[in-house]
Amino acid sequence: MDNQTTYVIIGAAVVGVLFLVVLFKAMWRVAEPNEALIISGLRHKAGTTTEQSLGFRIVTGKGTLVVPGVQTVRRLSLDLRQAELGIECVTHQGIPLGVRGVVIYKVGDDFSSIANSARRFLDQQAQMDHRVHNVFAGHLRAIVGSMTVEEMIRDREKLTELTRASSGVEMEKLGLIVDSLQIQEIEDPSGYIRNLAAPHTASVQREARIAQAGADREATEAEQVAEAQKALARRDTSIKQAGYQAEVDQATALAQQAGPLSEAQAHQEVVVQQTKVAELEAQREEQRLQATVRKPADAQAYHQVTLAKAERDARVAAAEARRQEVELDAAANAHKVKLTAEAHAEEVKVAAAADAQHVKVRAEAEAEATRAVGQAEADARQAKGAADATAVRAAGMAEADSIKARADALAQNQDAVIGQELAKQWPAIVEAAAKPFGAVDQLIVLNGAQGLSEVLAQALSQGATGLKMARGLLSNSGLSGDEAAVESNGHVEVPAATTAPEADTAE
Amino acid sequence: MMGKIGRVTGTIGPGKLGEVMVPIRGGTEHFHAYASDGDDTIQTGTRVVVIEYFPPRTVVVTPM
Repeated sequence: MDNQTTYVIIGAAVVGVLFLVVLFKAMWRVAEPNEALIISGLRHKAGTTTEQSLGFRIVTGKGTLVVPGVQTVRRLSLDLRQAELGIECVTHQGIPLGVRGVVIYKVGDDFSSIANSARRFLDQQAQMDHRVHNVFAGHLRAIVGSMTVEEMIRDREKLTELTRASSGVEMEKLGLIVDSLQIQEIEDPSGYIRNLAAPHTASVQREARIAQAGADREATEAEQVAEAQKALARRDTSIKQAGYQAEVDQATALAQQAGPLSEAQAHQEVVVQQTKVAELEAQREEQRLQATVRKPADAQAYHQVTLAKAERDARVAAAEARRQEVELDAAANAHKVKLTAEAHAEEVKVAAAADAQHVKVRAEAEAEATRAVGQAEADARQAKGAADATAVRAAGMAEADSIKARADALAQNQDAVIGQELAKQWPAIVEAAAKPFGAVDQLIVLNGAQGLSEVLAQALSQGATGLKMARGLLSNSGLSGDEAAVESNGHVEVPAATTAPEADTAE
Repeated sequence: MMGKIGRVTGTIGPGKLGEVMVPIRGGTEHFHAYASDGDDTIQTGTRVVVIEYFPPRTVVVTPM
């Protein structure tokens, strides 16, 4: 009985303990380090928490008993949260920018912040990011609007300060604290940032190019110096090689020439000796020829020369004898011919002298006769010429007088003078007309004797016609008496000449 | 909270809301800070003493 009772008691106690453990487990709540327990329900003892008016209890970092069914427990996360921000805004300088940033925040650790936060977000913890985003977009726009682009890029201090100043109080209302605001990306549609960087970029590029060029130049110079030194070394090497090669060639040539040279020298010695031998042989041959050929030939020549001289002398003597003989003969003949010729010449000379004397005498006689005849003729002609001259002068004077008289008469009566003149000239005119017939060798007249008379009549009528013409001419030029006189004087001489023989015959 | 020693992490100046880091509750938290003398400027890194606390996140400090 006692044992049984004991078992029951022990079993009840175990069950009771188990019940208590289970009950404790159901009532005990523990707040994790990153969360706060918000317990509402029973009024709790005053003084344990700061916020008592709203009647809920905040537990952080420890466990607490909760009466199931009477109290409710909510958990508020104290973890870090972040909200992405993307806005279009303008800077302090009015430059449009697209800013993408992130704000990192959490619920404050103090009970005031937790209480504020719990009252606002306890059932909307998932939407907390959205709320914060909406709030912070405006703040970020304000922050960017009060900064310049350069400050945004460089001045973190100012960015955080502005963040704190513009959003700190507002976030306090929400029970939140901002750990950090980061600007992740700035879109720059106007190219301001790129242009901001351009001068420095250009400068850096310039420096880089200068440095590159300098380095290149130095490298090239060094390369060229090295090349020059290499070329120098190569030149020296080549020169030395050429010198050595020349020496080697010289030595080789000398060596190669040594054999032929010595050979030539030996050959020269041999030739010298052979020459001497040949000279000696020549001398010996000469001596031999002297003895065998020249001496006998000289003897023979001397023999022949002597014979020839003797023969020549004999012939010369014979010829001389013949020459003297001929000479004597010729002299004799010459003397004989000379004597004959002299005799003949004397004879001829005498005859010639006789002839000459004869001719001379005759010529002198003829000359005398001729001179006498010529003298007689000359005298006759002189007398005749004197008579002619006197007659001509008398006739000229008479003619001049007659012309003068005629000129005077002409001045008075031309026609009479001309008629007289023509009558005086008529025989000469008829003679002139008949002259062509005199030149004709044989005249054949078809009409017989009547024809001949007709020809003559024609000729005479031509003369008559010419007479008329002459008369006309004279009458036309009658006014100029001097010209007519001269013209008449030309015609007058003809009858004067014809009268001259008459005078001659008259004498 | 009062009497705690902290360090300025954001320059405190006239018209400027500064920031101080104060060790509290086993860690450090940052609080918005004003200078006790309103014209005073407290540079970053200066050690300060909290002389006033405005819950939840604002303190008034003075340089040590």
